[in-house]
This record gives sequence, structure tokens and C-alpha cells, in this order.
Amino acid sequence: MLAELINPYYLQVGSFMLINIILGISMYITLSTGQLSLANAGFMGIGAYTSALLTIHFSLPIPVGVVIGAIFAGLLGIVVGLPTLRLKGVFLAIVTLGFGEVIRVIFVNWESLTKGSVGLSGIPHMGRELLKTVKELGFEPKMLGLQNNQFIFMAIFLILLVIVIFVIWFFKRQNDSRIGRAFSAIKLDEQAAESMGINITYYKVLAFAQGALLSGFAGALFAHMLGYISPADFAYHKAIDILIFAVLGGSEVIWGPAFGAFFLTLLPEVLRFISEYRYMIYGVIIVVMMVVRPQGLIDLNVVKWIKRKTTRRGLKNGTGN
Amino acid sequence: MSIFKKFMQFSAVSSMLLLAACGGGGDETASGTEGQADGGSGVVSADIGVISYNSGPGAAYGEAITNGLKLAQEEINAKGEVNINLKIEDSAGEQDQALTAAQKLINSENVTAIIGPTLSTEMNVVGPEADLSGVPIMGTSTTAEGIPQLGEYVFRNSIPEALAIPASLKKAIEAYDVKKVAILYGNDDVLTKSGFDTMKATAEEMGLEILTIETFQKGQSDYNAQLTKIKSLNPDLILASALYNEGAVIMDQARKMGIDVPFVGGNGFNSPEVINIAGDAANGLIVATPWFGEKEDPKVQDFVAKYTEKFGKAPDQFAAQSYDGLYIFAEALKNAGDSDRDAFRDALAEISNFEGILGNFSFDEEGDVVMEPTVLTIKDGKFQEFNE
Repeated sequence: MLAELINPYYLQVGSFMLINIILGISMYITLSTGQLSLANAGFMGIGAYTSALLTIHFSLPIPVGVVIGAIFAGLLGIVVGLPTLRLKGVFLAIVTLGFGEVIRVIFVNWESLTKGSVGLSGIPHMGRELLKTVKELGFEPKMLGLQNNQFIFMAIFLILLVIVIFVIWFFKRQNDSRIGRAFSAIKLDEQAAESMGINITYYKVLAFAQGALLSGFAGALFAHMLGYISPADFAYHKAIDILIFAVLGGSEVIWGPAFGAFFLTLLPEVLRFISEYRYMIYGVIIVVMMVVRPQGLIDLNVVKWIKRKTTRRGLKNGTGN
Repeated sequence: MSIFKKFMQFSAVSSMLLLAACGGGGDETASGTEGQADGGSGVVSADIGVISYNSGPGAAYGEAITNGLKLAQEEINAKGEVNINLKIEDSAGEQDQALTAAQKLINSENVTAIIGPTLSTEMNVVGPEADLSGVPIMGTSTTAEGIPQLGEYVFRNSIPEALAIPASLKKAIEAYDVKKVAILYGNDDVLTKSGFDTMKATAEEMGLEILTIETFQKGQSDYNAQLTKIKSLNPDLILASALYNEGAVIMDQARKMGIDVPFVGGNGFNSPEVINIAGDAANGLIVATPWFGEKEDPKVQDFVAKYTEKFGKAPDQFAAQSYDGLYIFAEALKNAGDSDRDAFRDALAEISNFEGILGNFSFDEEGDVVMEPTVLTIKDGKFQEFNE
């Protein structure tokens, strides 16, 4: 029964969805201080390459590689953030887009390390490594009535799900904290925030570095899920993809980019039945949605509405807690 | 508590959407197994999955590939020995899309085997996955190094650069008495970069002196800096690993500058478009290709005529390779006598001396191509067989 329900295809799509949700949130964090950064794809590449190279050359366990990759991207975020965050709006966007391209060109040209545009193959695969480990411990997927690949994708999906839940929980908490309030004060009016005694540079760099850390983290996960990366994966169109998650989903609340990533990953898969035309339809849907809901699909009002609906229903049925 | 509740709401909504989305896939699985069931009537019937680059900047490749496959499918099914049902999925040229397409074909559609994906980068991701799931997969356009080595279930019928470049270089050396070469390549593209690696290795192996190695980027329009340097070094031959659109411009500018030595190109350089773009400047380009549409083989001419009639344009190497690819699959299916994946894999690995429109074809023990490529040169404004 369980075995029939678990289709690696759905789990694969689900896993990409979860990684994209992390990317969407990384965009949301920088946007929550009112900065438009397009460097996320570059940081994603940093995280991916760092983790991939460490696990290939030094045989580090994947979790260690992923964490180092994320931290390295975060540190780079601080270094890049300090000078560039003096810029605002469209200028910051251009500078960060340029930064992303610089990263990509480094990947292309540093051939001794990154193998250039041919890309890195043979990156340890999360699921396959996990399978090996549990098998060494004497556990067989068959004990649960699962095929090997079902077990692999099930495991990846669950791990990512836990990570995403943690990330969302963490940033929800942060939003309600002093830091979150400082972020939104800066977003509303920088000068007013500064005159209230908020250290603008500190908070802006913090948001930027958090975004970088999260992108790097998602990138490292991406590398270990595909087992192969090349510089073209982290080009500017990836940055735009990530931006669309936040813009389409809505950047006011954390559920916005999460839903945007969920929706935009699902859409091309659902549209598979119209094959060649699916990206056309995909584009049309994005245009229509932006015209109808320029603030994004999910904003504060929607969240309040859902909350109201569900609490009322909960009260009526007596299941509310 | 409220956070937990909110999360539950979110996950409930999302899982409902996910289930709704999955509903569509389920029906197709049912029809897929039905197709396999009528194998009992004597004709082996199988679902073959196709992953190709059908949307995005490289959609022309995907279009040629699917056209070639559709034509082959029609002919094969009309013969009645085997019945092939194609399930075509788009990859948009992206690794993650190619991977989900492969997962769909493997797990939801239960295909016997897969043709594709189009790009070597995609194959690097999809190959290990198909191998793990025990689904035979064959690339018809993946020319980079190390593709069949990804696994026992991974094959290709496209001539790798490692076979094509030495063939053309050898003929060029014989004809022009080449001692010194200059290399020019695009360093930000997988195809041209891996072509360059092969060129460099081949040139070193053949004892040629490499005067200089110059690089350029995708979409560049001015190559005078690189060409001036190359001209001053006075090579006997230029090795250019470029895609046809950049390659044609390079040749045009080189000829204008007075560089009249022959060019040897890789797989990406091999297109009739070179002549359209560069005109007379294209004369002197040497490429090795599995596909030569002017060959005086009735099979080839028949294919060109049928393809042109059906799709309104002449087939290129991508169409020819996928056409032959499906015939190879049909042959393997006939020999296996069953649409079982493992039986099919073994039958596929045993294919040898297959006579297709590309010539005599065999797999080696790794699933790579054993084949004699045709060396072509552009002379008097058209591709001709190179024999001097």
C-alpha cells in the first residue's frame, strides 16, 4: 500500500519545490529590508561549488559540506554586502546582478578547480549516500516494503521538508522579534528608522548575509540532489527565477515566496500535457497574475482571511485549539 | 501553537494541490501498461520515453530530434514487427527539468527505455538515475566525454568528439602536411569546451606544435584580437571548437584578414548554416560527422526525401541520429522479444553491425559508439566528402 503511493516522480518534484522554497525565502529576507538583490543565484553557486568540491576532494560527509557551503556563502554575503549596500533600489539590483555574473565567470575560468563550463560531475548524491549508510547499519528499504529508489526519494523529501519547516519557523520567529521589526522599519523609511536609533548598516548587511547564507544552503542541497552542476545553472536567469518566486507569491509575508516557489515549480509539471506550449502558458499565467495581483498572490490580507476562515470553521466544528 | 496551526493549514492546502496535480498523471500510467499488455499477440509492443529540448533557446535541436523519431516510429510501426509508442517529454534544456521528466517516464509511465536527453549536461544528471532504476537510456545527441561510462544502462549512438575530431584532424594532416596549429574555442559552453579538451589532447598525441590557445565567449561578434595573434604566428591549420553561429563569423573575419589556412571544427560547427552565414569564407572548413545528407546511399536519400516532404525542411544530423536511434531500439526490441527493461538492455548492448542511415553502427562494451565518421569539407560553397 505504502509502496504504491510513493512515486519517485512526485517526490522529485516535491524536493525541487522545497529547495525552491528555500530560495524564495532567501529572496524574501533581503526584500524585507527593502533591498532588491539579484545576487542569490551567485550565492547559490558558491554554496553548490563549495560543498561539491569539499565532498569530492576531501570526502567530507554531505551534511558537513552543505553547512560549510552555506556558511561560506554567508561570509561572502557580508563581504559583498558591506560596500554594496550603500546603494539603493535599481542600482543595488544592477550591482548584485553583476556580482552574480562575476561568480559565474569565475566558475567558467577557474578550470583547474571547477573544470570550467564542462561542470562538476560525480558529486555525492544525498539519497544514494544515505542508502549506503543505512545499509551499513543493517537496514534495508525492503523492511518497509519499499524499492531502493522509493526509499531514496522519500528520505530526501522528508529531510528537505524538515529543513524547510525549520527555516520557515526560524524566519517567522525572527520577523516577530526586534530584528524583524527593525527590518520592516528600514523597509518603510530608512531615514526615520535611523533617527529612531536603528543601526541601518548592521541590519541591512544582516539581511543580505542571511539571504546569501540561505541561497548557498539551497545551492549545496541542489548540488547533492542532482549530482552534477555547471556554471550555466547559476546564471542570471536563475536569479530572475528566484525573484519571480517572491514577486509572484508576494513579498509581504513569508508564505508569499514559499507559495510562489511551490506554485511555479508545480506549474511546468502540471502543464506537461501541452508539451511545447507549456512555457508559453507559464508566461501568460505570470503576466495575468501580475496584472490582477501586483502585490503578489499572498499578502497580509490573504493571510488574515485564511486565519479568520479557519478559526471560525474550527470553532463551529469544535476542533479549534 | 499558532505557528504550528498555520503550518498545518499551509501543508494541508499544498498537499491538496499536489494531489490534484498528480491526478492527471495517474490516468496515463493505466494506458501505458495497456499498451504493453497486447504484446501477447505476436508483435512486441513497448513504450519508449523521449526527453528532448523542446522549449527554450535550443528548441530547434529538440524539434529535429522529435521529428526524426516520429518519422522512424511511423515506418517501424507500419512494418508491423514491433509496435513502438513514444512518450515525449520536454526538458527545456535544464538539468532539473530533464530529471523530473525522466522520473515521470520511469515511474509514472513505466516506459521500457528512454531516448534522450538532448544535452550532455542533462545526461550527466539523468543517466545515473536511469541506471539506478534499471531503465536503458540512449542519448542521440550527447557527444561529451564519459557519457556511456555513467552506468551499465547508459548508451549513446551519437559520435563522441573523441572519435570525430581525430578523424578529421588525421585527414587534414595528411592532405595539408600540418605541423603547427592554433586553437580557438568558446570557453563558456559545455560542447565547445569539451570539444577543445579533445582537440588539445588529439593535437598533442599527433605531435603537432600548438602555437597558441585563444578563447572567446558565446555571442561575441568581434574576433579580430584573437585572429590577429593567430595570423602573426602563421599556423598551418586552425582548430576551432565553436558552435556554428560563432564559428561562421570567425571564418568570415579570418578570411577577410587574409588567413587562408583550413579550419577543423567540432560537432557544433557542423551545420549547413555555416555556409549561409559565411558564404565563400566558409570554404576550407573540415568536420567529421556521422551524417552526410548527400551520400549516394538509397537509404539516406529515401530518408531525406521523406523527411523533407513531411516536415518541410531537410534533416540535419540531430534528426538523422534520432531516426537511427529509434531503429536501433526497434531492432533491440525485436531481438529481446519482450518489453522487459533488463531483457531490452541486454539486447541493446548486443547490437552490432547495424546498418542505418549513418552507416555501420556497433556498441562497444561500455555502450559507446563504434563507427567510422565521414569527413566533410566545404568546397565551392557546399559540403563534400573530403578526399585529397
